[in-house]
Amino acid sequence: MPEREITFGQALNEAHLAEMERDTNIILFGENVSSQWREATKGLKERFGRERVRDAPITETAFIGAGVGAAIVGMRPIVELMLADFGLVAMDQILNQMAKSTYMSGGKVSVPMTLRVLTGAGTSSGATHSESLHGLFAHMPGLKVVVPSSPYDAKGLLISSIRDPNPKIFMEHRLLYPVKGMVPSEAYEVPLGDANVVREGSDVTVVANSLMVREAVKAAEEVEGDVSVEVLDPRTLVPLDEDAILRSVGKTGRLVVVDEDYLRYGFSGEVVALVSEKAHGKLVAPPIRVATPNIPLPYNQRLERELLPNKEKIVAAVRKVASR
Amino acid sequence: MSLEEGKLADLYRVMVRIRTFENAVRKLTREGKIPARFGLYTGQEAVAVGVSAHLKTGDQIGSTHRALGHLIAKGCDLHRLMAELMGKEAGFNHGKAGPYHTFDPNTGALGANGVVGGSVPMTAGYALADQIKKNRMVAVSYFGEGGSNQGGVQETLNLAACWQLPVVFVCENSSPEVQRMLGHEIDYPQLSIDNVSLRAKNYGMPGSTHVGWDVEEVYRTAGRAVRRARSGKGPTLLEYKVHQLEGNLEGRLESNEKERQWDPIELMGKKIPRTLSDKIRADEAANVQRAIDFGLSSEEPAPEQAYTDVFREVS
Repeated sequence: MPEREITFGQALNEAHLAEMERDTNIILFGENVSSQWREATKGLKERFGRERVRDAPITETAFIGAGVGAAIVGMRPIVELMLADFGLVAMDQILNQMAKSTYMSGGKVSVPMTLRVLTGAGTSSGATHSESLHGLFAHMPGLKVVVPSSPYDAKGLLISSIRDPNPKIFMEHRLLYPVKGMVPSEAYEVPLGDANVVREGSDVTVVANSLMVREAVKAAEEVEGDVSVEVLDPRTLVPLDEDAILRSVGKTGRLVVVDEDYLRYGFSGEVVALVSEKAHGKLVAPPIRVATPNIPLPYNQRLERELLPNKEKIVAAVRKVASR
Repeated sequence: MSLEEGKLADLYRVMVRIRTFENAVRKLTREGKIPARFGLYTGQEAVAVGVSAHLKTGDQIGSTHRALGHLIAKGCDLHRLMAELMGKEAGFNHGKAGPYHTFDPNTGALGANGVVGGSVPMTAGYALADQIKKNRMVAVSYFGEGGSNQGGVQETLNLAACWQLPVVFVCENSSPEVQRMLGHEIDYPQLSIDNVSLRAKNYGMPGSTHVGWDVEEVYRTAGRAVRRARSGKGPTLLEYKVHQLEGNLEGRLESNEKERQWDPIELMGKKIPRTLSDKIRADEAANVQRAIDFGLSSEEPAPEQAYTDVFREVS
């Protein structure tokens, strides 16, 4: 397949385009999805018409719920949520109806809907415009949670998500949108539940997701020569590629987990729990979590930086765990 | 009936204060002195000013993500507001809030809100407390035509009518002709009706629609609704049509010369003597400059500030 360099946002756009061409049951709606300023969806209304591509009023409960309903009766909705924090307005539709309908119906119905969610801090936007929240969605039974970190994964994972017959929360960090990478022009799938070894190493395993994969790679490069760091990106939190994590930790014996989501009751704790339950004897040092403390994200940039994980904090954690 | 000149000048002064402050904010944002871009109130000043002219310090407002006009009209200190927008320690909220989450309970600004429709249910709570305390205070709940559709807003209209709460709902409809969201001309309308106030009847409260660029009309109509709430007769839904003159949240919509005809400050300026309006503009420019100087010379919060206020200390 011919590859060329495009942005994360363009990769998402291509995934929509390819899948909507393939399957006329795919419909798309959300706030301003027909806008030329929204990179993931621009041009789709012109291509597929306003029947299939619809701007929705600012009513998250209504349009997310409409996605759930349309999915149950055979459509393949892609619904966009402008920011993860705004999804909290629609918790019933997401965490009850979307997540549980398959099980509650004894498998009589399914919800093949993809809820695309923009996430992420680092833009000085304050406490209700900055959250990641993937841990919240991953906590609820019934939702697959997809967290791409590169243009290649963004396209392949979105295509897989659209084709998967279950409800998916597909989370796109805002700061990844301008990131460029090599992406095939054809449609392709990156399977859900298949981790990516972004960088091989032998001393320390760093498990990270979304934007933090990039910070982890920068940290690994900085300590190169002193510490050999393996960076593992699970790519989906549900399903979680446990084997890949256990394999890597089995090799290195040391674990750092990096997450922009809140520290407590989240992804970082889940990975540490997995390793302590299933690979306890392999660890030669206590694992370290580098995640956002459970504090609402402040507006001031200095305060925001204080709380968010970054390359420097990962480097410190890697050096510490490597010294044990 | 026209207002007397002194009253007009008072209203004009606050409108000019908001406009001057926001013009400064726009410039400071471009220069990187304010770290984030956010929604401004330019073109809507007559609404906040006409409403707030009837409010007392103890009356509370719930606002939106275009809060600066509401906050300034309610009487928030410009120095601390500017410091907050710059993320400084001397800001109302130690630089943790920024434009979307500013709280200033002492002046009854409770507060800006980053979630569309998010403040509206809480505002009913401010009014509930007033009702129980029998203090003859009222609450004002600001939201836009976009926010008017949110489930929480619709539920609150119902609750406020059922409980006859002393609250005035103020919907600022900024899509009076073409329906837009963040400057984007949407392909399906957000509203299937022309006037949001039509919904008032369904919830059992009075509702009416007015032009939001004429401060005298806002003043008169808001006065009736605030008096009604204060005297225990229950909620009202007021809708004001407004034109946002300086583009959308992200500055992508070119400001439209045609829309200048709805500039509430230009319209108002014609009604008071030139010498007075000149003086007011000069006063407010100096006022805002002092706020800028205060903000720029204020300290950044210490890193430790990031960790405080998650919980209040148990006393």
